[in-house]
Amino acid sequence: MAVKRFSLTIFLLAFVLSVGASIASAETVEDLYRFHCAQCHGVKGMGDGPNATKEMPVSPRDHTSAVEMNKLTDSDIINAITDGGTATSKSSLMPPYGKTLSKAEITSLKDYLRKLCNCKGKGK
Amino acid sequence: MMTFRRLLVAGLLSASVLWSVPSSAGVAEGKKVFDANKCAGCHQVEGPAKEKTIKDQMAKKGPELWYAGSKFKAGFLEKWLAAPQPVRPLAYNSLTEKNRGDHPRLSPKDASEAASYLMSLKSAEVKPLGIPAAESPKGRILFLKKQSCYGCHSMRVRGKMAGGLSGPSFVAASERLNPDWVYAYLKNPKVFKPVKMMPVYSGILSEAEMKELASYIGSLN
Repeated sequence: MAVKRFSLTIFLLAFVLSVGASIASAETVEDLYRFHCAQCHGVKGMGDGPNATKEMPVSPRDHTSAVEMNKLTDSDIINAITDGGTATSKSSLMPPYGKTLSKAEITSLKDYLRKLCNCKGKGK
Repeated sequence: MMTFRRLLVAGLLSASVLWSVPSSAGVAEGKKVFDANKCAGCHQVEGPAKEKTIKDQMAKKGPELWYAGSKFKAGFLEKWLAAPQPVRPLAYNSLTEKNRGDHPRLSPKDASEAASYLMSLKSAEVKPLGIPAAESPKGRILFLKKQSCYGCHSMRVRGKMAGGLSGPSFVAASERLNPDWVYAYLKNPKVFKPVKMMPVYSGILSEAEMKELASYIGSLN
């Protein structure tokens, strides 16, 4: 009996630890944004990342602009992140992240952009 | 008969040892140079890649070199280590700090030996396909129009610098990069760099497109 209880405790402990580890390894949306998006859109999302050089044919969108971001629906944002700018008839300078980020990560980035612009988007 | 066979084996063995000398010349010395200059403080020389999270990648101080022999063209590292010029416009892992171009410079002898050592570090993932460096119209369209790679990788266009700053520059990529490696990196990037700022294009570009791009990048001056 004691042995059984002991092994159950070990099993539960291992389970708790592994769940803890998987939560710990998930990226925060802030880290995802800084790592993937900020290179063009800037650390604060103002469209002023290091790739926004003046020779570029278009400027990265300012994610803090409610006027700009209200032109997009939530699915426009998700499609643009997943399949790149051309998916929403915009520039191919916005690359596709569908094979880089998970669907959940892309949705969390969409929510993060809505927080940055403090806007709900077209159709809402 | 037995003795003859033994002799033959011994002969072949000693011949293979002799033949392998030229290709390994400088490797052991180069490892010593690498260690003496504490290069491993910034550059990983043992594969496979271990990074799992953004934090793991951000903790790295310089590019990993455990597949340098597959990535770089012969002669590039020797020249570069003796007279380092920034390959990345920005400091490694930074979006705000300019690359100060302060990589330690080695003497010509040390540079040659360190390069021999680094060029001995190969990845089995990079198959010797012999993808030629060629500025093909298809590659150019992919690079400039379809995927806009120049958004992150700067290049020289009609003598002028153009393009984004977050990725390594492709100016003089023809002297630096092995097109076979560029293709392997596009096809299976996570083997080389599991967590990276560049999106994964495998599954987006076709095999033929990845080869066209590798060929085009390998031609950029």
